Amino acid sequence: MNITLGHYLALSTILFAVGLAGALTRRNAIIVLMAIEIMFNAAILNLVAFWHFKVFATLTAQMFAIFAVTIAAAESAVGLALVIAIYRHYRSVDVDEMKALKG
Amino acid sequence: MNYAFWIISAITLLGAFLAVTLRNLVHCVLSLILFFLGVAAHYFLLRADFLGAVQILIYIGAVAVLILFAIMLTRNVTGTEGPREVFGMKWWSGGVIAAAVAAFVLQAIKADSVTAATSTTQANSSVAEIGKALVADWVVPFEAMAVLLTAALIGAVVIALEEVMRRR
Amino acid sequence: MEQLYQLLRSCSWFAKVPDCVLFWVSVAVPIGLVLAVYPAIFAYTTLIERKALGRIQNRLGPNRVGRWGILQPLADGAKLLTKEDIVPRAADGFVHWLAPVIAVIPSILLFAVIPVGSGLIPVNLNIGVLFVFAISTASVLALFMGGWASRNKFSLLGAMRAVAQVVSYEVPMVLAAVVVVMAAGSLSTTAIAQAQGGGLLNITNWFVFRPWGFVGFVLFVIGAMAESARTPFDIPEAESEIIAGYHTEYSGFKFALFQLGEYLAALAMAGITATMFLGGYNGPGNDLKYIGWLVGAFWFFAKLMSIIFVIIWIRGTWPRIRVDQLLGFAWKVLLPMSIVNVLAAALYHFINPKPLAWVVTAVLLFIAWLVLTKVGAPQQIEKRVYRYAD
Repeated sequence: MNITLGHYLALSTILFAVGLAGALTRRNAIIVLMAIEIMFNAAILNLVAFWHFKVFATLTAQMFAIFAVTIAAAESAVGLALVIAIYRHYRSVDVDEMKALKG
Repeated sequence: MNYAFWIISAITLLGAFLAVTLRNLVHCVLSLILFFLGVAAHYFLLRADFLGAVQILIYIGAVAVLILFAIMLTRNVTGTEGPREVFGMKWWSGGVIAAAVAAFVLQAIKADSVTAATSTTQANSSVAEIGKALVADWVVPFEAMAVLLTAALIGAVVIALEEVMRRR
Repeated sequence: MEQLYQLLRSCSWFAKVPDCVLFWVSVAVPIGLVLAVYPAIFAYTTLIERKALGRIQNRLGPNRVGRWGILQPLADGAKLLTKEDIVPRAADGFVHWLAPVIAVIPSILLFAVIPVGSGLIPVNLNIGVLFVFAISTASVLALFMGGWASRNKFSLLGAMRAVAQVVSYEVPMVLAAVVVVMAAGSLSTTAIAQAQGGGLLNITNWFVFRPWGFVGFVLFVIGAMAESARTPFDIPEAESEIIAGYHTEYSGFKFALFQLGEYLAALAMAGITATMFLGGYNGPGNDLKYIGWLVGAFWFFAKLMSIIFVIIWIRGTWPRIRVDQLLGFAWKVLLPMSIVNVLAAALYHFINPKPLAWVVTAVLLFIAWLVLTKVGAPQQIEKRVYRYAD
């Protein structure tokens, strides 16, 4: 059986679901960030697969992937800076304990 | 291509799964690195070798190292987490939501005809092509990205430096 | 690799041999050569290093095993192989075992894109330089894993220092290499080496003879030394401060693997430097008809070994610098300098005639160097204020 676009889409869906489950269930903020990175990567894998299987004729999908990688890097830098700032305030990185805004 | 796809996919999935389930934070990051490597290998397999190298450079060289640094800076040096209810209410609800999303999307993929596409790009994407596209057709997003990165850099420094500023 | 395959295919002796055998032979031969030649160079580099350091420190260096100590590397190897492999009880077993392995793999992968002669390259990747940076940042993981898994505060300190140092020096190093990529118009190491051919005796077109090339060369060598944690940038394993840093808890063969990885990384970085700035295999006589490739390989290894020698020389003569000096140097001097250097390379490309461009960029870079290192620098080193210790 040949590998089709569907295989890649299925793989990235499962990866996305794993990342989603991690983001929803883990309490450590750093692991939540890591799970978000997994979801990002699953989406970018999709884009590259679209490019490879010629769904888009041009380089559009690769360009999109490059921009997505850049944004993900910036996001993780800011996110980790926020985690450190939060840690300094609460002495904890547990997302369940950050409920100062909870009514 | 077939064997390579299945092997690399297995490694990638294993890395992702371990990254969100392991108890030790540093072990999580190491499995995340395995996952990043698997994705990079997929890019090479898909003949997007520029993106593959970028993936290793940015994700393994920068993001993973940054996460390791954050773990160390939050003074959780051994990386162990406190006890946690392994199969608590939250775990089940999160798992069910993720499984539902996966099932829904997989159903959609199965139903769509575009997914049967097997004609592929044979040549490696040339770096020169990507470079020219970046400064010609995509120059506005490219510049926007530069501004975004600068803003993120300054923002990260300001957030992380907060305490030092307050102390003075 | 492809050339070897074509060569074997075209040779009439192998006409009967099936294609796939020839393919695997042409894959295996470069791998075998890389795995044989560079570790051999590594073994004798350690000997040269010990001899040279001995001379610098007014002693003889190893001279007991074999004449002039030429069998010393074998004796070292035998000793390390037979030593007991100690794993601390508190250590994280799997990661502790994995770290030395990870330390060696990226260093060997780097040799895949270094052209030894015209066409003599294991794999001609069209993203060669990017591949080098991607792989060489991965090597920091080994240092971190080793330091963290040992459960020893000195190891952990060494690991943290290693990570901070490599991440900081990566940036000016990449920017120094950008200049070469701009001039050669390609990321492929083969194309970069080709771009430096021609000129008088195949020498005058080396990038190091341009003002931006020279500055890039110096920045790149500093970055490479910091990245492979060589003295004076060896704070991750500073003996007088943190015992042996990340490999404090390693012994026997695992320790040897760490050393192997570190030296191979230094060799690979010297090879990349030679390729990018010193013309690679280009030198007098590398375009001769039949022995040209041999002359080219000779020039390449001569350049590689002279860079290694300079690195050893620096190790023997300079004191180790402090952590804050190290990071300050990377971010306050090297990074601005490399950005100015990129600007200079662009100016050089657009100004005609070239002698004028040479002078203009040289003046620009000299002014930048003066501003960055002399202006505003404290006249005498102030007493260090300990903010956290007291």
